[in-house]
Parts: sequence; structure tokens; C-alpha cells
Amino acid sequence: MRPRVNPALFFLLPALTLIAVFYVVPLALSIYIGFTPLRNWNIAGGYLSQVTLENYERLFHMVMYDPDIGKVVATTVVFTVVTLAVNVLGGLALALTMYLMDLSGRELSLGFRTLWMLPRMTPIAVYSLMWYYFFLPGEEGILNSIAMRLGLIDEPVNWGNDPDLLPYGAWAILVVVNGLVGVSFGMVVFYAALRSIPREQIVAARVDGASTLHLVLYILIPQLRWHITYVTVWQLLSLLTTYAHIFLLVEWGAVDEFWGSNWALYVFNKAFALGESDQGLAAAAATILVLIGAGLGVLALRLMGFGRMMAEPRGEV
Amino acid sequence: MVEVSLERVTKRFGRVVALDQVSLVFEDGKFTALLGPSGSGKTTLLYIIAGIYKPTSGRIYFGGEDVTDLPPNKRNVGLVFQNYALYPHMTVYDNIAFPLRLRKLPESKIDRKVREVAKMLRIEELLDRYPSQLSGGQQQRVALARALVKEPTVLLLDEPLSNLDALLRVSIRAELKRLQKDLGITTIYVTHDQAEALSMADTVVVIDRGRVQQVDTPQNIYNRPRNLFVATFIGSPPANVLYARLTEKNPSLACVEVNKARFCFEGERAARLSRLGGEEVVLAFRPERARLGTEPRSDMLSIPAEVYVVETLGRENVVTLVVGASMVKVVTPPSQVPRLGESYYVLVDPRDVMLFDPVTELNIDYIEA
Ligand SMILES: Nc1ncnc2c1ncn2[C@@H]1O[C@H](COP(=O)(O)OP(=O)(O)OP(=O)(O)O)[C@@H](O)[C@H]1O
Ligand SMILES: [Mg+2]
Repeated sequence: MRPRVNPALFFLLPALTLIAVFYVVPLALSIYIGFTPLRNWNIAGGYLSQVTLENYERLFHMVMYDPDIGKVVATTVVFTVVTLAVNVLGGLALALTMYLMDLSGRELSLGFRTLWMLPRMTPIAVYSLMWYYFFLPGEEGILNSIAMRLGLIDEPVNWGNDPDLLPYGAWAILVVVNGLVGVSFGMVVFYAALRSIPREQIVAARVDGASTLHLVLYILIPQLRWHITYVTVWQLLSLLTTYAHIFLLVEWGAVDEFWGSNWALYVFNKAFALGESDQGLAAAAATILVLIGAGLGVLALRLMGFGRMMAEPRGEV
Repeated sequence: MVEVSLERVTKRFGRVVALDQVSLVFEDGKFTALLGPSGSGKTTLLYIIAGIYKPTSGRIYFGGEDVTDLPPNKRNVGLVFQNYALYPHMTVYDNIAFPLRLRKLPESKIDRKVREVAKMLRIEELLDRYPSQLSGGQQQRVALARALVKEPTVLLLDEPLSNLDALLRVSIRAELKRLQKDLGITTIYVTHDQAEALSMADTVVVIDRGRVQQVDTPQNIYNRPRNLFVATFIGSPPANVLYARLTEKNPSLACVEVNKARFCFEGERAARLSRLGGEEVVLAFRPERARLGTEPRSDMLSIPAEVYVVETLGRENVVTLVVGASMVKVVTPPSQVPRLGESYYVLVDPRDVMLFDPVTELNIDYIEA
């Protein structure tokens, strides 16, 4: 007799429960709150029963006409795209470097790898604080003191806030700080993938006459295709929603409040700011972010042919 | 096509000595089999010839040219691996075309050569497939095509047939041999399988722990092994080894005694035995060159033994017997099926007895006076 309920469900239940409680329910709630005028956590105030499109209208209006929100949008786009490129290309470059070092028999790679893992292993506050001191506006800032000692500048520079450097100063700081955190992810994935390529393939390519550049372009990178897709999509989604480091940098005044904020941080501040907070608007903004993230994710997978990777192999194997 | 020669080539990996002072000549257009146990340095030797590894010391010559410091792309060798090592992201066509594309040949010429070699190896209908869509035998043909399309001067094969089933192996073996003769490429063929080595090769090189043990024709490798290692490595089952006492050491008459059986050698053999230092000698003989008899024979080495195991293989039987503290194997015709515990004499013609110095393990026939 066939059981009416798939027995797999039984095993999936604990995980499904967790996902439902901590992911699906909040998501639904959040989307719903986006359609209500909830503010200042006034849950008993009857706001939750008023369904309205007002938040979306306000957001649209702000994006169109509020220059500060325009800055946040521009920062989000630039920060996400540039940091993503740094993460993926940097991770790829590091993984290839280490792999080629291994091939030539140099045993540097373990220490090298650990070094790049440090930003991820360091607590966010400590890591951000380090960069805060690095970009400190005064003479005691590390970057300033180095640049002054080298004679590149005469006066200390306020890297993240100086109007002459904005928005690029603030953007550069965000990219550097977050780029270094994300780079190790791509590095680990790509390096592991490279290590799983049989050594004989490398030898065969060499015997076929491949230089190191040929090897990288024609043998190694093509085989990393799916890994690059995966890392790109994963990092894209996490960069769209990251705000922890940025929050601290803005909070400590290392970067300009608007040129240094991304959409996710804006949402966070709207929802959880001390004093006046606007959960309805924040939820609507978060919903838009989720939609954009999902859309971009699907688009990226499409572009890179994810469907074909998951397809059944053709012919006899 | 060229002659490949190695001059005192040593390769160390840290503390491991993979090759130890190897000097070898692979003759132009000949098929040489490289035979040795796992870890003996066979792959290392091929990689050194291909230019993947640099020798720690020693020189390599292709023809008259010293290629020791040339990178792989300047050597024009073809290399085929046990695991095929096809590029999984390229079609069969692109795999074969890869070495030619790196040489920047015009696409029309590449196309002609790829189709030519594909036809020769009968893989034309596979050109659009990916390696994952091929069987092992097909993949091996593609790997061979990729190695041959460059028209290499030297073809290196590293256990190319070991991943194939026994039937396919035998048929590809014959084809490969034919192909090599037709193309006349200097070929070095690494294998674990001695039947393969002995049946295909013009010359067999036996290597162990990074050292060359013997370089000879298949017949001599089999019949006149240079040392005890070769005698016991070659053959299935391998040669039987017995320690014997030298009871008489005259240049004209030398006698050995093993398990109470005494046998005397005369002439050249006696002279060589008499020059041995100690009182011991190692006797070896091939299981298929021995017979079982009920009576000792004066013209043969006749060792009393007791049957321990009988394996009936259909075409023949392999009988294991106890001789003192050792075991020997004898191949008997199907009609002769001894029973366990029966006593026999193992009879070996003195010409089939191989004698080794117990200290150096050298065959006494090879010891210079
Ligand atoms: N890249 C390397 N680094 C360190 N040691 C190595 C390396 N390549 C080979 N060796 C060592 O050198 C010795 C010879 O290895 P090699 O691969 O040549 O053996 P082989 O005869 O091809 O063995 P098999 O029949 O198992 O393929 C082994 O002891 C091996 O461990
Ligand atoms: Mg090997």
C-alpha cells in the first residue's frame, strides 16, 4: 500500500517549520505592513487594519524628487555593482593565483588563504573600527599619515565626507571595506573547484602547448563557469541586503550620511531609528528590495544558463 | 621521429627519489614498454620526457638535440593518460583541435587534420559530443586522437588501457600496435600489465624504485631476467625462488642442494657458480617450465615436494607445493590433477634453472668475470 503522505515530509518537517516561522511568516508580515501606515511601533493604534498604497506612493515620490533618497539609490547601485565585481573578480584572481602557486610547487598558499579569510573571521565591529581608524579625517588617521609622510598630500583629508571628494570618497570606502569581506567567499569556492580538476588535464594542456595564460583562459575559467554563476548570484543578493558595516561607518561619521548609505541601511534606519520611525514605509522599501533582488537573481541565472547546468546529461554516460 | 635518450637522469621530490640515475635510449620508431610496480617512477619518467618535470640532474636528448631545458610546447610530444584527461567543457572536435589552435594554424587546416585523425581512429561520428557522453573506449580514442593530431615525434602512453574492460583492451592493444607501426612514432608505453608489455613491445624496460632493472627484448626479459626482481616481477604466476646450498664449488663441477635434492652443474654454469662468494645461491624457475614426476631424474633438478593447493583453470592447472619452508608453483596440463597431500618431484631442466647471487641478486649469467 502506498502511503498517502510522502514520508519524506516527516523528515523535512523540522526544517520546514523553522523556515516557516523565521522566514515565510516574517516575509508575509513585512509585505503586509508595507501596505499599512504603521509608525513608531504603534501596533495597538489601529494602523494595521488600514490597507493603503500610500507608502509606495511616498517612496515613488521620494525617489523622484528627494535628492537625499536619490543619493541613496545611486549609492546602492554603484556600491552593489562595483563591490560585486571586486568580490567575484578578486576572488577569481586570488583563487587562480593560489592554484598556480600550488601547481608550481610553492607551499605559500595556506598562509595566503588564511590572510584573506581574516576580514570574514573578524567581528564586524572590530573590522569596521579598523577601517574607521584607517580613514580617520585627522592627521592621526592611518591613510592620512601615510599619504602625508609620502608627501602626496599636505593637509589631512576627510576621505568620506569632503564635499570635493563626494560621492567618490564615500563610495570608495564602502567598496574597500565590504569588498575585502566578500572576496574570500569567491576565493574559497573557486579554489576548491580548481583543486577538483584532475591534474592530468593540466599536464595535458601543457603538453598540448598551453602557456599559463592559455591554461587560465581555455581550461580553468571555462570549468569554473557554474561556480562563477553561483558566487555572482549569491554575492549579489547578499550585497543588496548588507548594511552592518555600512551602518557603523555612517554612525561613526566615517562616510557621508546619504552618499554612504545603501537602500538596505535606509530601510533599517526607517524602521528602527530612535525617535520618529516609519515601519510601513520601511516595509514597503524592503519589499521593493526583495523584488529587485529576486528579479536580478533570476535574470543572472538565466543569463548564465543555470537551466542547462541542472539539466539531465544527454546521450550515454 | 627521433631517438629519445636519457643520461643519468635523477628526479627528487623533496626526500623521495623518484628516479635514480636513469640512463636509457628509446630507439627511433620503436615501441618500448615501461614496466614496473606502483610508485616505481614510470609516470615521473614520462613527465620528464614531456617536459612537465625538470630533472634534478641529468640530460634528455631528442635525436641529437638537448631538450632538458625546453618547455613542453617546444618538444612536440603526445601524451595519453589512464584517465583520458579530456577537457570536459569542450566537444570531441574541440578537444582534438585544441593543440592545433594553440599553434595558431588556420581553421581550414585544423578542420582537415581533425577529420583525418578522427577517421583514422574511427570516431568521426562522435565529433559533436562532449566527453561525458562517451564510453571509456571512445574517450580513450579521442585522447589518442588529441595526442596524434599534433604529429608528435614521440608518443607517450601512461597506462592507456587500464580503465578498459579486458576484451576491449585486447582489441585496442592490437590496433594501437598497428597504428604505431604504420606511423613509425617513437613510442613509450607505461603499463602494469606484463602481458601487454611483452606482447606489444620491441623493447621492455623494467624499472623499480626509480632504478632501471633491465632493458631487453620481451623474450630475454622473460627467459633471462637480469636480477631476482625482474624474475619475480614478470610472469603470472611469477618465477619460483628457492634458496640452495652450494655443496661443491669447482670451476668444472658445482653442486647445489635444496630440500635434500642435489644437482650438479657443469661447464660455464659451474665456472660461474664457483666464483660466487658465499655458500648459498638462489635458484629460480618458471612454473610453466617445471613438471611434476613421481620419480627423480638424474638429468634434471628433482626437488621432493608435497601438494598444498590445486587451482584448476581449464586450460591448465596451477599446483602449489610445499618445499621445506617455501612454496613453489608448477603449471600442469589439464590431464594431470594432483591430489592434496600427495608427494611429487618437481622436475626442472637445468637450462630452465636461473641462478642468482644471493647478495647482489644478480643473475650469475650476467656477472662479469
Ligand atoms: N609531484 C610529486 N610530488 C612528490 N612526490 C611525487 C610526485 N610525483 C611522484 N612522486 C613520488 O615519486 C614516486 C614515483 O611516482 P610515479 O608517479 O612516477 O610512480 P608510477 O610508477 O607512475 O606509479 P603508478 O604505477 O602507481 O602510476 C612515488 O614514490 C611518488 O610518491
Ligand atoms: Mg603512474
